[in-house]
Formats: sequence, structure tokens, C-alpha cells
Amino acid sequence: MGTINSALSLTTGALDADQAALSVIANNVANANTTGYIEETPDWQENQPISVGGIQVGDGVTETGATSQRDRVLEERLDQQQQLASASSARLTALNSMQALFTPDSGSSSSTAGDIGSDITGFFDSFSSLESDPTDNALREQVLSSASTLAGDISSAANSLNAQSASLDQESSGIVNQVNSLTGAIGQLNLQIQSTSPDADAGTLEDQRQQDLSQLSQLIGINQVSTENNGLSVTTTSGQLLVSEGQSFQLTTGTVHGITDFFLGGTDITSELATGGGQLGGYLTARDVDIPGALSSLDQLAYGISTSVNAQNNSGTDLDGVTGTVANPLHIFNEPATVAGSAANMSVSMTDPNQIAAAGAGSGSGDNSNAEAIAGLAGQTIVSGQTPINYYSNFVSTLGATVSEVETENTAQNASVTQLQTQSNAQSSVNLNDEAAAMSKLETSYQAASQVFTLLNTIMASALNLGEETAVS
Amino acid sequence: MHPAKPELKELVVEASRALARLDATQLEELAFSCQALTRTRNPEDPDERTHMARQARDAVADMAVFARVLEATRANLNVMNRLRELRAVQLEYTERQARAGGGAEGGHGDH
Repeated sequence: MGTINSALSLTTGALDADQAALSVIANNVANANTTGYIEETPDWQENQPISVGGIQVGDGVTETGATSQRDRVLEERLDQQQQLASASSARLTALNSMQALFTPDSGSSSSTAGDIGSDITGFFDSFSSLESDPTDNALREQVLSSASTLAGDISSAANSLNAQSASLDQESSGIVNQVNSLTGAIGQLNLQIQSTSPDADAGTLEDQRQQDLSQLSQLIGINQVSTENNGLSVTTTSGQLLVSEGQSFQLTTGTVHGITDFFLGGTDITSELATGGGQLGGYLTARDVDIPGALSSLDQLAYGISTSVNAQNNSGTDLDGVTGTVANPLHIFNEPATVAGSAANMSVSMTDPNQIAAAGAGSGSGDNSNAEAIAGLAGQTIVSGQTPINYYSNFVSTLGATVSEVETENTAQNASVTQLQTQSNAQSSVNLNDEAAAMSKLETSYQAASQVFTLLNTIMASALNLGEETAVS
Repeated sequence: MHPAKPELKELVVEASRALARLDATQLEELAFSCQALTRTRNPEDPDERTHMARQARDAVADMAVFARVLEATRANLNVMNRLRELRAVQLEYTERQARAGGGAEGGHGDH
């Protein structure tokens, strides 16, 4: 090869390489605002040196393609944090709705589920009032009215929770179609990537696959396993296969005990999906754990009050001198047969106020001993070993604590996602110096935050201790 | 009265926000504020003791959030450090291969 030709060839090659690299950069600029696009950098390969007069001379470079500045480890960490954040966010939304149900509405003139606490007090107080004049019809009407308000608010709360559960059930079913569509797309992309780019980064195709994975991880909890030739398997967090290279496995739904269950290949994986994360995990946790827990508490409350009050009223004598019997019981509330369903079915069955047995068994209608006994039930442990008002207060406090706990988790997870996105942007969009700077920023922020935390912790511990001393002294 | 001092709760909430944004400058400023708060406190003043105890109680929930964000940041930092180590190993391996040049190919034959 002649020297001039070699030199020309070298220059032409370098120009071609520059041109190709410029195309890669132009593509980056054009896609600067494309969601999920990862910046590509040109790959350079040194050409074999040529020999000129026995001396080895470099033969320039060739642009061999482009590589996206992606990082699978970071992307997976981001996906994992996103699925946790999505789960806690979906659960928090449901919990906030539940909590709102049990929050008194000061602006409302009608009684609501939020007034159950004052309803309980009002109901037992109405018996205390009846003690003063057991024959007074207005006071008797007041007892039935307050019983009706209590029963109405408890059953309304239970029905609202059931409606919320049905709504979450519907939302959860809707997610399945999105999941199946995404797993199908990931399978197809796997095939394309494996056939077109088994040994190198597949650029846009990998961007699309990553975007689909990111969306999928917001919907359900997933694990990703890299396979040969740039392939990828996706499983649920408990290991059920969703995508195996080119093949995807569809989630299906079916109704079990009145609610939607989720199946993969004939296996019911509902509980695994509930704990796995993603929006679906959050919805299912609210539907299968939080709402049934609240309903169960309301059932216990309704059952305890209804059965105890009915039994006590049945043991007394009403205004007409009648004492309740098995065949003709003097029940104020609809007597529940089982604990489950007691709240939703709670209602006042007594229509005649004269049937309120204010008098003790065998006593005259002017006696108030049984009214006193019923009023006294307010201070007795008739609901799962607690007084009715304490039981209800504990239920509301526990719900509040759960909301607060999930809120804390969600805030921390969202913060973590924000941090990882900052790191991811630094990894995929800028040069190595900026990448190092981003890493340093993370480290510095962590160190500074640790210092702030230590200082705040000391101040708070000291302030709380001093506060206690003040209170004691 | 304590007109100029920020509430403890505000400091804690701002610290969580700054950490989420990785705003190291703001975090360093917050550290100074905390140090100043420690210096200017007068534990002998009963009013201030009660005032600080109230502030601390108000800030407990936000402190729990801050602790969780800090925990998540440490986990993220671990991931990033691990990633950096992996990259360093990868880079070293690539450089070694490049130095070995064509001979390396022969060395990795079908043995």
C-alpha cells in the first residue's frame, strides 16, 4: 500500500468515523426529550497498524456502533424501589379513604360513621337519662333514636368499607390486562434483541424493554434475571415466571369467595402478589388485609353491643309489664347470629318504645334498675375484653398508626426513588466526570444528613428528657 | 418568646426533603442550624425546656421519616459503591485485555 494512499485512507476512515459518531450524538440530541431514551456513546475501534518502510504506523479508528449508557444494576434497584413506592402509595390512598370514614365531620348536620364514638356514648347516656323517669315516653323514644343512630352509623361504615373493597377489587382486575400487555411486549423485545444484537447493547430496543420493565414494576413486584444473548427472564417476587426470553405467561383472574383471585398457569398467586409490591400489591393488601381488619373490628363492636344490650333488655320488664322470652324476646337491636357480618347488618328491630325494659324482672313499670344496668354496660368489657368506647378508640388509633406508618414508608421510598433517578440520569446522560460528581454528591449528602440526624437526635432526646423532668417537678 | 428560631419539626422536614434531592449544601446549612440550636439553648430556663419538649414531641413522626430516608440513602449508596467496584473491575479487565492485544485471542483458544 502506497504511503499517500494509506494516509488518505486513514484520513477518510477518521472522517467516516467522526461522521458516524456525529450521527450518534445527533440522535442523542434528537431524543433528548424522549421518555426512557438512554444516551448512546459511539464505540471506537483502533484499526490494525500499517507498516511504512518497516515502521508501524497507526491506521486510525473506525466507529463500530453505539452503546447506551445504561446500567442494569442501577435500573433494577430503581425498579425495585419504584415497586415498593407504588405499593405503599396505592395502599396509602386506600388507608386514607378508610381513615376519612372514621373522622368526625364537624361541618355535617347528619350523623356519619365518623361519629360512632359519640354515638356509643349517646346511646348509653340515653339509658342514664331514662333512669330518671322510666315511664317517660320522650325519653324512651330518645333511647330508640340513639340506638338507631348508632346502628345506622356502624352499618353505614361497614357498607362503605365493603364498597371500597369492591372498588379495589375492580381496580386490581384492571391491572391484569396492563401486566399481560407489558409481559407480552417484553417477550417480543427479548426475541428482537436476541436476534439482532446478541453480543452488544441493542440501543433503542433495550430502552423500550427497560421502559416496559419500569412500567411493569410499578404495577406488580418483579425480579429480573439476565439470560444469554442479552435475553431477560422476569418473575414475580416470589419466583413465578412471567417472561422467559421470548415467551410470556399470562395472568388470569377468577372469582373465589366473592373476590377476584389471580392465577398464573392454574396456580392461585394472589397472596404472593399482595406481598410482592407494585400498585397491585398495594391494592390487594388494602383489599385483603386492611379492609377485612377494619370490618372485623366493626363486627366485634356491633356484635358485642347488640348481644349484650339485647340480653340485658330481655332480662328486664317493659312498660307493659312483659318480660322477654325465647319465643318473644325483647330485643332492641337485630340479634346477630355470628360475629361476621354483624356490623353491616346492625339495625334497630324494636319499634315500640314501651318494650324497653327499664324495670328489673318482676318489678313494676316505675322501676329503673334494668335501665341502670343497661347504662352500666358502657363501663363493662363487653367487646373483646374492652369497654365499647375503649374498643372503638383503640380501633381508630390503630388505624391512624397504620396510616402514619405507611405514610412514613411511602415518603422514604419516594425519596429513595428520587435519589436513584438523579443517579440514573447522571449515569446515562452525562460524561464520566459528571457521573463521578453525582456519586460524590450522594456520598456528601449522606454524610451531611447523618450529621444532621445525629444532632437532631441529641437535641430531641435531651428536650424530651428535660420536658419530662419539668412535668415531674 | 422564640421568634427567630425555626421549629424543630421544620428542620426535620427540610432535612428529609434536602436528602431526597441530594442537596448537600442545604444539609450542611441545616447541620449549622442544629449546632447553633444546641449552643443557644438554655436548659436552665423552665420555659425553654417546656417549649423544646413540645417541639420535640411535634417532630417525632417527621424524625421517623427522616430516619427511613437516611436508611434508604445508605442502601442506595451501598448499591452505587458496589456498582463502582464492578465497573472498576470491568475497566481493569478491559484494559488488561487491550494490553494483551491479539495474543490474548490465541491464549483463549478452544482449550
